[in-house]
Amino acid sequence: MQGQLVRQNQHFEFTGKGWEYFRIWIVNVLLTILTLGIYSAWAKVRRLQYFYRNTRLADASFDYHGTPTAILKGRAIALGLVVLYNVTLEFNPILGLVIGLFLVLAMPWLLMRSLRFKLYNSSYRGLRFGFSGSTGGAYRAFLLYPLMAVFTLYLLAPLAHQRFKHYQFDNGRFGSSAFRFGAAAKGFYLLYLSALAAMAGTVLLLVAMAMVSGMGPGIQGLITGFAAAGPVIMFVMVASVLIVSSLFIAYIQNLVWGNTELGAHRFFSNVSARRLLWLRVTNFVGVVLTLGLFKPFADIRMLRLKLESMGLTVNGDMSEFIADQQQQATAAGEETAEMFDVDISF
Amino acid sequence: MSISPSDASVQVAAAYYDGQSAANKAVLLSIDGSDLLLRGSAWETRWPLHEVHVSERLGNTPRLITFAGGGHCEVNDHAGLAGLLAQAGVGRNWLDGLQHSMAWALAAVVLIVFAFGGAYRYLLPWGAEAIAMRVPGAVLQKMGDSTLEMLDRSLLDPSKLDAARQQELSDAFARLKPPVDPQMQYHIVFRSSPKIGPNAFALPDGTIVMLDELVELTGDDNEIVAVLAHERGHVERRHAMRMVLQSSVVGLVLAWYVGDVSGLLATAPAIIMQAKYSRDMEREADVYAEQTMLGNGLSPCLLGTILDRMEAAYLAKVREKHPDADAAKDSGAMDYLSSHPSTRERMSLMCPGK
Repeated sequence: MQGQLVRQNQHFEFTGKGWEYFRIWIVNVLLTILTLGIYSAWAKVRRLQYFYRNTRLADASFDYHGTPTAILKGRAIALGLVVLYNVTLEFNPILGLVIGLFLVLAMPWLLMRSLRFKLYNSSYRGLRFGFSGSTGGAYRAFLLYPLMAVFTLYLLAPLAHQRFKHYQFDNGRFGSSAFRFGAAAKGFYLLYLSALAAMAGTVLLLVAMAMVSGMGPGIQGLITGFAAAGPVIMFVMVASVLIVSSLFIAYIQNLVWGNTELGAHRFFSNVSARRLLWLRVTNFVGVVLTLGLFKPFADIRMLRLKLESMGLTVNGDMSEFIADQQQQATAAGEETAEMFDVDISF
Repeated sequence: MSISPSDASVQVAAAYYDGQSAANKAVLLSIDGSDLLLRGSAWETRWPLHEVHVSERLGNTPRLITFAGGGHCEVNDHAGLAGLLAQAGVGRNWLDGLQHSMAWALAAVVLIVFAFGGAYRYLLPWGAEAIAMRVPGAVLQKMGDSTLEMLDRSLLDPSKLDAARQQELSDAFARLKPPVDPQMQYHIVFRSSPKIGPNAFALPDGTIVMLDELVELTGDDNEIVAVLAHERGHVERRHAMRMVLQSSVVGLVLAWYVGDVSGLLATAPAIIMQAKYSRDMEREADVYAEQTMLGNGLSPCLLGTILDRMEAAYLAKVREKHPDADAAKDSGAMDYLSSHPSTRERMSLMCPGK
């Protein structure tokens, strides 16, 4: 088998179980409360280790190496900055705004550091991931393009989204191999426009419904219509937002991962929007009915759906990946204090 | 290599990664003396046990055995590994047990509920007091200003007392020696409010609002002074700030962790206006008033007298508006009566025999 050029579709596997994770999660919550939040860093490491080690690809699992102290340091810094900003703003608005501005300007750099931390502390088969995105790239992807999107009334939003994902994925590394991100802005524009059209269509439909139930065109009919069919309209609105957003999330994941390569291999993703919608609705109901106790189960279900819809088309042999010699040389000297983890979700 | 048939040495299958490439090698792990032995198909290596690190149990995830010089093993045979570790004399840590026991998980849920209950009952008031006493004067000033503004806009009319009378009362208050050096600077502002009725209340920044209706209730200025002393007690102990913090747990957490007091400032006027101090706080203010009165050679019973008058005035107001007692829902009067403990109760300690 070795040495033969075999093309295999390897699906990601997620072996995490709800009740198993619940036990870990509840102890995390209890200890976090008892330590007034300090344990949260240890809880995060436990959680990520559980998720990573339960994620398998080609008979091997992933691993997370972040240390609680590094995470605690990052959280303490983030908290300190927020406190400083809030307190200053209260007593010296000008100075407060200056600090706020500084925070906004520092954000892309912090995000980049956070990406580096997360990827460096992730491994598979003993090889570490890495992130080699430049600081300039971070400012373009996290600040410049989003600002441009806002100033063009969101016409550039799909482009900003594509640039964001490009920065995030194209600069990734696994061992000495590089990730390559090939999704063009066109795909994002198609997606955004479709979502917009769907929402607009729903609104028009609802307006028509309202007018019909209000028995008359024009503003008067609209108002009486809304008054009469208020709850129904609300429900339709919420349902359509849920449906369109589920489609959106599914398509984004498929678009992004389906156009990502690693070395000679290629990822694939076919998340089903229908299953995603069902999961989101049932998760929400579960969490509400159990006053939050269902959350660990909800997380496991979501992760399983997203991961098991993805995989890697392996062109050749998985053992071809080798460690990044340069990374190994510098890893020892790289101060973890420099790379701190700021909790920002993507 | 010595092979002994009676050797109960455990052998565990594992996948070995050398850390240089993604290739894996199937190995068998066993304990040999004080070493961990790895046996592959055509090779073997060993590591001293003290250079080997085994990851903790985490659900059913593979256990990871890391070697000091690099490389690691993934083990999926949990039972086998447990046997191997037992042979090497490695125990389980307590956290591991906690996280894998259903009984502990359920106990954790119960403990969390108790923790929240206890926190609300004890930690919250304690935290509110701790923070309130440390809040800077500027925040209290802002709170006072915005509350007075809101009151002037909605409930308070200008006072009808003449300037001389106002000055007389201000002087009487200024002459009052406080039991301890006051933290704030106090001054009285005069208003009228038929809606509220006879009352006086203090704002967090030391402004005391005196209503005409209270002044008209009695001819003895010392009774009014007693009320003012009671109100000063509320301010010195920062009861308004504590109430604001306590009623907004979210606000308290934000103030503690993040230093964000802006949310509190927004809700403060509404809470202060309701003036729903807890019984303990009323008691504290009463004690302060008692000390003040005694320190100035006045009888604490004067406070009782004016409180009786106020109670009577409110009851009269309620009956006048609603002769039918069941329908008594006059917000101002009923609020006062329901939120303040009965005068008899309060005065029983301060003014025995009344």
